[in-house]
Amino acid sequence: MTYAIETSGLTKSYQKTLCVNHIHLKVPFQSIYGFLGPNGAGKSTTMKMLLGLVKPTQGSVSILGKPLNSRNRLSILKSTGSLIESPSYYAHLTGRENLALVCMMKNVPESDIDRVLAIVRMEKQQNKKAGHYSLGMKQRLGLAAALIGQPDLLLLDEPTNGLDPAGIQEMRELICSLPEKYGITVMVSSHLLSEIQQMTTHTGIIHKGSLIFQGTMEELKKHSQRQLKLKTDNNPAALHLLESMGLTCQSQEGYLLLPETNDRNTAQLAAYLVENKVGLLRLEEKEKSLEEIFLSLTGRQVSL
Amino acid sequence: MLTVCIKAEHLKLKRSFIWIAFFLLPLIPALMGSQNYLNNLGVLSAEWYSLWTQESLFYSNFFFAPMIAIYCGYLWRVENFGHNRNALLTYPVPVRNIFLGKMAAAFSVSILTQVWMFFLFLVTGKAVGLTGLPPAPIFFWMLRGTLAALAITALQTLLAMVIRSFALPVGLSAVGSILGLVAVNSQKAFLYPYSLLILGMNANRDKDMVDSGILFFASSLFYLILFAFLGIWILKKSDVKA
Repeated sequence: MTYAIETSGLTKSYQKTLCVNHIHLKVPFQSIYGFLGPNGAGKSTTMKMLLGLVKPTQGSVSILGKPLNSRNRLSILKSTGSLIESPSYYAHLTGRENLALVCMMKNVPESDIDRVLAIVRMEKQQNKKAGHYSLGMKQRLGLAAALIGQPDLLLLDEPTNGLDPAGIQEMRELICSLPEKYGITVMVSSHLLSEIQQMTTHTGIIHKGSLIFQGTMEELKKHSQRQLKLKTDNNPAALHLLESMGLTCQSQEGYLLLPETNDRNTAQLAAYLVENKVGLLRLEEKEKSLEEIFLSLTGRQVSL
Repeated sequence: MLTVCIKAEHLKLKRSFIWIAFFLLPLIPALMGSQNYLNNLGVLSAEWYSLWTQESLFYSNFFFAPMIAIYCGYLWRVENFGHNRNALLTYPVPVRNIFLGKMAAAFSVSILTQVWMFFLFLVTGKAVGLTGLPPAPIFFWMLRGTLAALAITALQTLLAMVIRSFALPVGLSAVGSILGLVAVNSQKAFLYPYSLLILGMNANRDKDMVDSGILFFASSLFYLILFAFLGIWILKKSDVKA
């Protein structure tokens, strides 16, 4: 199977620090691939290597089936749109002039401006100077610029950074509609788990330069071991009883957490507690949040 | 492909503050030069040539190179905001055209500057009471200075690309011009790029400083190719730090 983006052992080191460490990315065609990691994990550096902005120390990149080298660079860039680090715009030019500039550089007729303006819903603000735009509008202008020339692949680095909740929602809807409507493959980076969760079909998690997980959203969820969560009228006694049954059990915020078990065992466990005069108040199944999955993947607390 | 880049760079010059510098700065050498001319009519008897010595003294020694530096600096300055360098280098155009596009756009403003300066020379000449039109050699010196300006444009495009500050390359060009004034009196003036402007325009002289044109043209061409090549090479090799 070929991928829209495939890297092999992609590495970047500055002096002696490894910024990106032997990454094997596999981004399927027409997926929305969420590239998740805390700040400074190497997301931007990786994405810049995919565009040839940063030269890899080691490893190779293949975009839309073509190896990224000086010979293929222009044809790859022709079918790629990107928004890296923050939206690019010339503050002294209007939104429309900014897009006209992109059309020129991408050798696309200027009629494409109206198409992308409609997609990001900015027709009314097109003649205002970009410097006077709100941050949300600048991000939308950046996305519009990336969409000029109908690219097959879109690389968006933290496209919702600095947006208000309504802006985030709007950007998310826009991005989600792209593969379906235009057949575009989207790679989007974020340090926000919830955002990736809501937008993407595939995920790669980068931590300290290494890709610690890659797969579909479902596969990521498989990493979540479910737990039984129960509350009794006498937690210390219940804890004692459960441990005497040989179960590992932890107490947390007034609840007891047990590893998930089958229905029969659950029924036995409940009966045992009641027999021993412990009243069962709640018994529920708890799924790990993605924060906790991330924690279990990286083995440590990170601020996302 | 290159024409596209030049066109795009011209669009970036729209509504730019460089046009204020473009219009106002040449007024200073024109006015100071003609004032000097009027104050020293006793010694300055060669009419248009004499007026040229006074105006070109200020213009090519102190103003022209920094003005070129401002144009080049501005064209890179706009790329230093909002990570614009990322976008600039992900357009499907050869890297050399990005550099050459900026150079060509700055150079075209430099040509306009020469035209504007020549026009001011003409107007001030008439104002101080000179008759007829400036003699042809002065027009030729202006053209020759424009060739030297092309080499300086390549140098300043390179400096502005590498140095992220706007003021520093402009300052360097001012220092370079003053050193060029010192170097111009030496035998090896042709080896110093900023001296080429002064030599080319025959600043402050009424006799031609360039005895044999070959050395001047070869030197201008050499620096043009050297700096352009160096600039493109650096842009290609280095990682984009936006």
